[in-house]
Amino acid sequence: MPDALLMDRMFQRIMRGLVDTGTAPHYAELARTLGLSIEEARQTLHDVMRAYPIGWLHPETDYIASFPPLNNLPTQYRVTVRGEQRWFAQCGFEATSVTWLFPGETVRIDAPCLDCGDAVTVEMRDGRLTWVDPPGVVGHLNYGFGASRGKNFFL
Amino acid sequence: MNLFRSEEHARRWPAFQARAEEGFISLGDLAGFFGTESRRHMLDPDYLSTWFPRRGAERAAYFERIGKSTPFWLGTPDP
Repeated sequence: MPDALLMDRMFQRIMRGLVDTGTAPHYAELARTLGLSIEEARQTLHDVMRAYPIGWLHPETDYIASFPPLNNLPTQYRVTVRGEQRWFAQCGFEATSVTWLFPGETVRIDAPCLDCGDAVTVEMRDGRLTWVDPPGVVGHLNYGFGASRGKNFFL
Repeated sequence: MNLFRSEEHARRWPAFQARAEEGFISLGDLAGFFGTESRRHMLDPDYLSTWFPRRGAERAAYFERIGKSTPFWLGTPDP
């Protein structure tokens, strides 16, 4: 039976690690921080990812690939805060939620348009849109939500 | 789940799915969708156990509010 408190603590360490450094910690690093054995940490990581199925490990590994709204694996959605581009959003939709990880800061999202390659830029602060370029930027869901749609919805 | 410079840009994307004509959402609605109450607690120590489980109901309610209550958006099976 997974330990809910421990899972909360590991979740926070992962999210805080991503926010602070731009990369997710490895389970062996989490083990030391949380006072677990290496194997306990690996198992707990899997418990956390099962409880947070909108993220995922890289297939056949214990490496965190995606931990939304941020991604450990680079995507086209580059996130800049305080002039530093350290982060990537999981997708264009999750990009609009990164603002909640950086309270009081301007969060800038830069991505190439998948049609033409020209820039799409969005800035947000505490959940509010403060700059959008070009003004007609839209979100688009290509496959629909739900496993029955056949493709990963974040694509 | 992507951002495009405009709807026309999305339609010209080679991977654009015919059904996804209903997949557009304004940036304002998107920010609202990803700004529901649970999203504001991602740094809280009990996010996974307390706030994340509320996300599904919030999403459904938000979609209803902005008129996106189709299976495509709600993730429910097609009729």
